[in-house]
Amino acid sequence: MGLIDVIKKGVFVDILRGMSVTGTYFAVDKMTVEYPKEKLQTYPRFRGVQALLADPETGEIKCVACMLCATVCPSQCISIMGEQTPEGHSRPATFDLDLSRCIFCGLCEEVCPEAAIVMTRHYELSTFDKDDFCLNKEKLLANQVYAHKELYRQPVGNVAPSGAAAGEPGGVGDRADAKEVQR
Amino acid sequence: MSDVIDSGTAQARDVDATPSDAPPRPTLEQLKERKARTRQRLETGGDIMTISMGPQHPSTHGVFQMVLDLDGEVIVDLRPEIGNLHRGVEKLCEHRTYHQIIPLTDRLDYNSAFAMNHGFCEAAEKLMGVEVPARARYIRTIAHELSRLANHILWLGVHIMDLGTQTFFVICFRDREYLLDLFEMLTGARLTHSFARIGGVAKDLPDGFEQRCRKVIEFLPKRIAEYERIVKHNRIYYKRAKDVGIFTSEDCYAWRVTGPTLRAAGVARDLRKDEPYAAYDEIDFEVAVEYNADVYDRFLVRMTEMRESCKIIRQCLDGLPDGPYVARDAAHSLPMKRDVLRDSAAMIQDFYQVFRGPQAPKGEVYRAVEVPKGEMGVYIRSEGGAKPARVRFTTPSFYHGQAMPALAVGEMVSDLVAIFASVDVVLGDSDK
Repeated sequence: MGLIDVIKKGVFVDILRGMSVTGTYFAVDKMTVEYPKEKLQTYPRFRGVQALLADPETGEIKCVACMLCATVCPSQCISIMGEQTPEGHSRPATFDLDLSRCIFCGLCEEVCPEAAIVMTRHYELSTFDKDDFCLNKEKLLANQVYAHKELYRQPVGNVAPSGAAAGEPGGVGDRADAKEVQR
Repeated sequence: MSDVIDSGTAQARDVDATPSDAPPRPTLEQLKERKARTRQRLETGGDIMTISMGPQHPSTHGVFQMVLDLDGEVIVDLRPEIGNLHRGVEKLCEHRTYHQIIPLTDRLDYNSAFAMNHGFCEAAEKLMGVEVPARARYIRTIAHELSRLANHILWLGVHIMDLGTQTFFVICFRDREYLLDLFEMLTGARLTHSFARIGGVAKDLPDGFEQRCRKVIEFLPKRIAEYERIVKHNRIYYKRAKDVGIFTSEDCYAWRVTGPTLRAAGVARDLRKDEPYAAYDEIDFEVAVEYNADVYDRFLVRMTEMRESCKIIRQCLDGLPDGPYVARDAAHSLPMKRDVLRDSAAMIQDFYQVFRGPQAPKGEVYRAVEVPKGEMGVYIRSEGGAKPARVRFTTPSFYHGQAMPALAVGEMVSDLVAIFASVDVVLGDSDK
């Protein structure tokens, strides 16, 4: 071992070189978020739990019970019973979605000709009660608050974009104190 | 050198242009001799101990079991047990229309789900004769290369972690996060993308994707250089990887081992060049080849591939053509969502595709694509109609897992984790 090596060991050159790499990471932005307190904002295409949309003007459900989503679903988690309203419109009498079967592939959203069923940004779906996985029409309509805002701007037919309607989520229960982190 | 570059490649390419300071390339005979020297086949006179490695062993990357016969520390025999994760994907495909099979292919190799989607769609398009528009081909190429990057970064972290370090795994996951982020932006999911469609892709590039993708592609080569600084010249890694698990090109052909393992054995076989699909024939890139056929060279091949992937994505973003992102083919592909909401013809096509499905002709096709782990082939036999009569996925991990006896017999048991990780096996891909 030469003299230089002894001096190097004496003044901890290797350790300082290693610590300089560590030190640079004090200066850069941290990659992690503290999950339950902070959350990453999902992207507009994120495929979370489904929602059924209602027409923002009339408040009526957009779904016309055409059965496309129930047919295309690869895991067959959607079951719909249609009915006719007195005005002659077709509406779903029941709309059941079994979340424990759903694989979140997004095909139901993609084929829907009315843009009635959408995937939302809500992804925290754990629950203590298995019945919570069976979403009926009311629960799916209530999920509208989670829908991505951009979906409301999709032009339907020749109607002008209706702007942000029922899109803004209100209080999200006990999660309201969580901070959303922009990426 | 000519005997290393085997005539098995579909296309002979110029691989002589290496810098003069490169170490001399071993010939096939030299490699075989080196392989024989590194593998100590002991006379089976001693006590043989049979132990089971896996299926819960962390270094088997899933539920893969290896039954080892050990003489001291040398592996005398190895029996891989494949199939613990069998889900019957191929059978499930027979009961679904071609559109509905796409989410199933996500679950084959979940580290590079888009590559799997892409392979199936290429096969289905070949069967139905669908022409994919240029923009869709470019978007597919971008997504395919992003999944290659994500897969290789994950592979690197796991491989190094198997060799006994923890921090590097976290470093790799930090960078993989940027790629998963891009995927979430593009496809809506981080792992199970379901993004390719028959005749194109599910959605167009979102706003802001190009800028974000360019940013990631700009700094990833710097991160790859950082990996190399940490790993490539690390004495411990070099000693554990150099001349370990030598698998010559002959062995690769015998066991159908493809991908980076084959390219590390000196064979410039890459389906992106040999049988181009998507936009690869319009893109300028190199095939990474190394010649020593050991664990270290497989690492080098993957590092070069990641750099080439960045190059491919940059070229695709530069030359991204306009136009539809899915074929306007009413008989075989789903319409664009924006058309469905406006146009009654597209809506009829939507109903037709869902209720009747894409109408495939009678016949059978085989199409292989270069997924990050190797060659993924899809065989489809159709009796006509919307559902295939038989689908077969020849996924690379299956062949890599079953080649483990040839790869590891004669090696030390402590090298087994390095060898197993170096051929890159994912059990969802292997067991199907």
